[in-house]
Amino acid sequence: MLTSPTSPPPKYQTSSPRPHNPLSIRLYKVLAANLDDDTTKEALHTLADLYAPSLLNDTKVKPQDRELKGDRERLNDIDDEDDDTKEDANTKLPAQSPALAETVPGEIAARARRNLKKDVESKLAESSRRFLTAFAEVDKQLDTLQEYIGAMRLRCDDAQSQLGETNEACKALLDRAGSLREQRQEISTRQSMVMVFLSRFTLTPEDVEAITSREVPVGKRFFNAMNKAERIRNDCRVLMAGEEGPTKAGLDIMSTTSGYLEEAYEKIFRWCSFAFREMGRDAQIDVSPAMREAVRRLRQRPELLTEALGTLSQTRQATLLNNFTTALTRGGPGGLPRPIELHAHDPLRYVGDMLAWVHQAIAAEREFLEGLFGARAEEGGRMVGAVRAYGGTEEEDWMSELMDTAVGGLCTPLMIRVQQTIRSQESSITAYKIANLLQFYMLTMQRTLGEEAALSKRLREMTDYAYKAFSDAVEAQGRSILGIHLDLDDLTLTPPFAILDHTQILREILTVYESSLGDESSLRGKSAKDVNEAAAQGCRAILDQMVDPAVEMCVLASEEKHRLRPSWDREIFIINVLTYLQSVLEPYSFTAEKRDVIQDLVAGRVVQLIEDHFTGLLVDTGLGEMVDAGKARQGDEPLSHLPAASSSRLQAALHKFSVWLTSNTVDYPPRLGQLSVQSLASRVHRAALARLVRTYKWLCEEVRNPENKYEAAATVLGSERPFGQVHLLWQIFGIDEEETGDDIVTDKTT
Amino acid sequence: MANDYDIDATELLETYDFLMKYIIIGEAGTGKSCLLHQFTHNSFKEHSQHTIGVEFSSRTVKLGEKRIKLQLWDTAGQERFRSVTRSYYRGAAGAILVYDITSRASFLNLSRWLADARALGSPHLVTVLVGNKSDREEDREVEWAEASRWAAENDVHFLEASSLSGENVEAPFLLCARSILLAIESGALDPEKAGSGVSYGDRALRRVHSSSRLSFGSLSGGRRKGTVKLRLPLAGKTRCC
Repeated sequence: MLTSPTSPPPKYQTSSPRPHNPLSIRLYKVLAANLDDDTTKEALHTLADLYAPSLLNDTKVKPQDRELKGDRERLNDIDDEDDDTKEDANTKLPAQSPALAETVPGEIAARARRNLKKDVESKLAESSRRFLTAFAEVDKQLDTLQEYIGAMRLRCDDAQSQLGETNEACKALLDRAGSLREQRQEISTRQSMVMVFLSRFTLTPEDVEAITSREVPVGKRFFNAMNKAERIRNDCRVLMAGEEGPTKAGLDIMSTTSGYLEEAYEKIFRWCSFAFREMGRDAQIDVSPAMREAVRRLRQRPELLTEALGTLSQTRQATLLNNFTTALTRGGPGGLPRPIELHAHDPLRYVGDMLAWVHQAIAAEREFLEGLFGARAEEGGRMVGAVRAYGGTEEEDWMSELMDTAVGGLCTPLMIRVQQTIRSQESSITAYKIANLLQFYMLTMQRTLGEEAALSKRLREMTDYAYKAFSDAVEAQGRSILGIHLDLDDLTLTPPFAILDHTQILREILTVYESSLGDESSLRGKSAKDVNEAAAQGCRAILDQMVDPAVEMCVLASEEKHRLRPSWDREIFIINVLTYLQSVLEPYSFTAEKRDVIQDLVAGRVVQLIEDHFTGLLVDTGLGEMVDAGKARQGDEPLSHLPAASSSRLQAALHKFSVWLTSNTVDYPPRLGQLSVQSLASRVHRAALARLVRTYKWLCEEVRNPENKYEAAATVLGSERPFGQVHLLWQIFGIDEEETGDDIVTDKTT
Repeated sequence: MANDYDIDATELLETYDFLMKYIIIGEAGTGKSCLLHQFTHNSFKEHSQHTIGVEFSSRTVKLGEKRIKLQLWDTAGQERFRSVTRSYYRGAAGAILVYDITSRASFLNLSRWLADARALGSPHLVTVLVGNKSDREEDREVEWAEASRWAAENDVHFLEASSLSGENVEAPFLLCARSILLAIESGALDPEKAGSGVSYGDRALRRVHSSSRLSFGSLSGGRRKGTVKLRLPLAGKTRCC
């Protein structure tokens, strides 16, 4: 009730007993406060109002003082030590307001002040009492607290000592823990080392699974596992090569990995065998990279590879054989292209189609094998030309081997058919063409498969067989011409039909030979002479077999005919046949050798013919008698004394010669006209004429020779043409004197 | 590691989806072997000699998404080898018929070659006519238009190429392969059958295709022969350039 709004609430009391400072600070603050502010004034007014009503209305200031004083007293009660100053303040305060009580004598104010003072003092006393009771209670409580704290201290000391003991006890434990920790560190390091070691030297379960499980296909994962196993082995080997020698761990690793590797190779082997059996059935096959890699790896285990490839080659052999049979008998899809055997009636096409099929199959097979062994990479995967270089590498050996086996199965069916075809040929030409074709393919296959391959060998056999058949046919042909007799009633001197037929065959054979498909490539880059030589070499036997019997037949048969028909001109006939043979051989450069042989024969026959012709001329001209006489004379006997060479005879002979000179036969001797080669006829004639001129010359010399005692020799000679002038005779015959001589006779060039 | 790389590298080289047999025919001296050499080696074959009989080579090409392996049979043009070479028509899926634009004679004989190919080859044999030596314009004896007309009349594809410069050399082979693929797609040609000149390379693909003939990726879309014929003027344009 008396407490002013500004005075602190009762809580002040509970906090007051302890520190003095805040109180004094507060006090100073109040003291220092300016009382002239509005709120203070208002408080004083309220106070004044409180105490004023019982008094006069004009005493406004007094309650103000009382209030102020009460305030001070209350504060002073709290602080005992400041009692004096409080009194001072109390007494001072009323004195401070004389200005306010200037109008009224201070009675009312004094009374109010007294009342106020009394109120304040009683209030103060009351408060003090309450303080005391309160503090007594506090004191009591503090005593209890004291007791508690004492007990607590005891406990704490106790705990302290216990802690100390425990600490002491823990120290050993901590040390132990520390060392254990160190050990653990060490072990974990070792463990990580071991882990690294294991990861480097053992296969992970995934790897092992890849290697051993049938579920994991042969592929990248599998190969990676294998690579790892191999790398481990290599590393391990390096490690074991150290000074310490092999360790147990090393040996274990080696044995484990080798076990896995063996399993891996087994797995590859099984897989390859299976794949080979499967894929081998297709005509055209592609090689997957995994397959190639598998084969490459399996080469580390040759025995496994051999077995797997054995499977492959067998499958391929069966497949190729099957395909070949299909191509032979069934043809392509829907029968197109037609089955090869449909053309069996055309031997060349039949054989050619079969060989071409084989050739194409070989090319495809070769590509497949190159893919399988990865041999194509180095060649850029491309190749032109059938010629292959044999590097002698392991792959090449394998490929040759596989090719040989795969294609080898085709040998028998091919051979049966080819031989059958050859056997059924009647024409030697066809046989020859087949032989040529076979030889061409034999060379092709030799380049592709090698000379030792079964197919190459078989083809060689077939080629030989075909050539044998051809050669037999030719021989038979030769024999048959030998057995031919000339038609006795045919008086012509031209080559007989038998010869014409025979040479027609020869001509065809030579044409085929000229365009033969032989081993031309081997001749490339060689000189023309070598090529000719090789060509001549190749047909020598044919020519011997074909030409020689013809020549022989013509000589023998003509002899027989001549015996029976003496009038028949055998010499002309033989020369005609021989020159005809020559003309047949003429277009073929490689027959030069044979032509030379025939030319020699012709030359011999021509010499004979010239002789015959000359003799005939001597008879015709009448000079023969004189020549005979000249030959018959003995010693130095004069020619004119011989009866055969008497002057009259000489006269007659010269006359006959003169008559002959005017006849047609000088230019066109009837006999020589039957020679089919006119140039030869004129050559023979000219050679004979030249000799005739020389004979005349000899005669003139003999007649003019005084020793022969012809009378009027010049007159005798001059009476008949050519009047003893030899040069005139040269002119008549149109022969150049210089050109004459033996060379005319021996000249081989036509 | 090196091994893995190798496998990948060869994989690119080796695997294929289809395998096709081609035969290259035409008169002697028209440049068949050179064309083929340019195709397989990307270079001109100097001092080429006459082919003896037949020679073999192969190359894998890419057409759309398909890899196609071509087995190429280069034949001798000389008459004396006819009996040998004609046996190689059978079982060929494609024929590259070559003439020499600087030799009228080689062009005039084309009918005979085509007749042979049609008679001896499979009924589905795709023929592409190639006018070779297109680099020798100054010696030209056969006009492009004339050859093109002949090709149209005889229902063969046509283009000109140069085995010397390499221009257009791949085109006939690819054109031929495309036609064959279309024939397979339309069901006219079955690579499963032996003797068709075509076969699947990948066994997996084979199985897929035996059950359904769906598509060849970019190639499908109902293209028929007519589409390919549209290429003919195009080929002409490249010549003009």
